[in-house]
Amino acid sequence: MQRAMNIQKLLFVTKFEELGFDALQALLGLRKAALNHVVFVNVIERDKVAMRRGTGYQKTEEVRLRELANIRFIDWAETLFEQGMEVGVYIVVGTLVSQVIEAAKKEDADLIVIGKSHKPMLEQFYSGSDVTEIIRRASIPVLVYKPVPENNTALEHPFERPLLATDNSAGSLRAVEYFKGLNAVVEEIHLLTVVDEKALKGGSSMSIQKSRKEARQRLEQICEELESVGIHARAHVYVGQPFEQIERAARDCQATLIVAGSSAKAAWAERWIGSVPRAIAEKSVYPTMLVPPDKS
Amino acid sequence: MSKKVLVVDDDPDVRLFTVTVLEQHGYTPLEATNGEEGKQMIKDAAPDLVILDVLMPRESGVRLYREIKTDKKLRDLPVVILSGIAEKSFLRSQKALTEFGGEPVPEPECYLEKPVEAEDLIQAIQKILG
Repeated sequence: MQRAMNIQKLLFVTKFEELGFDALQALLGLRKAALNHVVFVNVIERDKVAMRRGTGYQKTEEVRLRELANIRFIDWAETLFEQGMEVGVYIVVGTLVSQVIEAAKKEDADLIVIGKSHKPMLEQFYSGSDVTEIIRRASIPVLVYKPVPENNTALEHPFERPLLATDNSAGSLRAVEYFKGLNAVVEEIHLLTVVDEKALKGGSSMSIQKSRKEARQRLEQICEELESVGIHARAHVYVGQPFEQIERAARDCQATLIVAGSSAKAAWAERWIGSVPRAIAEKSVYPTMLVPPDKS
Repeated sequence: MSKKVLVVDDDPDVRLFTVTVLEQHGYTPLEATNGEEGKQMIKDAAPDLVILDVLMPRESGVRLYREIKTDKKLRDLPVVILSGIAEKSFLRSQKALTEFGGEPVPEPECYLEKPVEAEDLIQAIQKILG
């Protein structure tokens, strides 16, 4: 039986520097919806403890890194336990992507939260390809958390005013279903469709207006669905390059989060063709939640 | 017949230490790596005492403890909590869960913070099991 689309259990993937307790506290607003279980995941990359000439496997270093993570998680867990939350922990040696996907499956989690800094690519804690790969392989939504650029702190209420960019893909429609379950947390949701400029070229003003009207009508239907569960929703149609327009709309709406459906394309296809969800996850300054199509 | 003690902990080093101490003192140790496994072993093997960690994957010790102490058949099963989580936080968690509509549960028979000395652990067990 398929579980209702609620976020009851989230997987909080951290290396501590990029995603701290302030980010987790900001997400605790989801308790008003259904959140009651947080699972911490810290992956010690193999190269940090790998076999080295003359020293072999660095067991002592593994123990040290495990205990450093454990001490931090114990402190966070105490706070969450005291609030009546259920808390779990994974401190594992391995590769980030496979360990995160495995933990999400074992735990039957509803959301993966992973951090991404605004630092240049070479200085980032997770490489763009790791985040992209997690998004591609996950069967549940992935929230790529980013600190507020001005002061590097976590946004206080990320789910307060999301911008949901929809192209009517299976993923973006599933995102709508997720947000219906977050009606206790979401203050206002902005729905956006970006019409490709190419689709408008050469047409008459009537046909351009028709495209806009059709896109708008589809959005209005979703707005009505959201309003019926008590979420105030507004529809927007923008024209241009999807990634640029989504960023612009997020600024215009003072969005706290960008939500989009993630693609089911193969990795090679995404690298070749490019992908809007991937661009949002990697380049946007806003926290980004990507919802995959139902893979069951 | 020696008494059975179930050790529920995800840390293999802690399990090895605890199991060794138990064997040296004539107990029969049983092992589980998380709360879910622990729950199953309690049903299958009917241990005389449970040594329970708190912070674990799948199901934490907070939840398993609650399940033991609110189950009519299991509530008299003694539990020693052995954890890095402070006792105060554990007790507050149980209080918070009761406030959320859960059944009140008693305090554990013994609470030991990690790391524990073998002597302290065995004293606690002997005190409970006699």
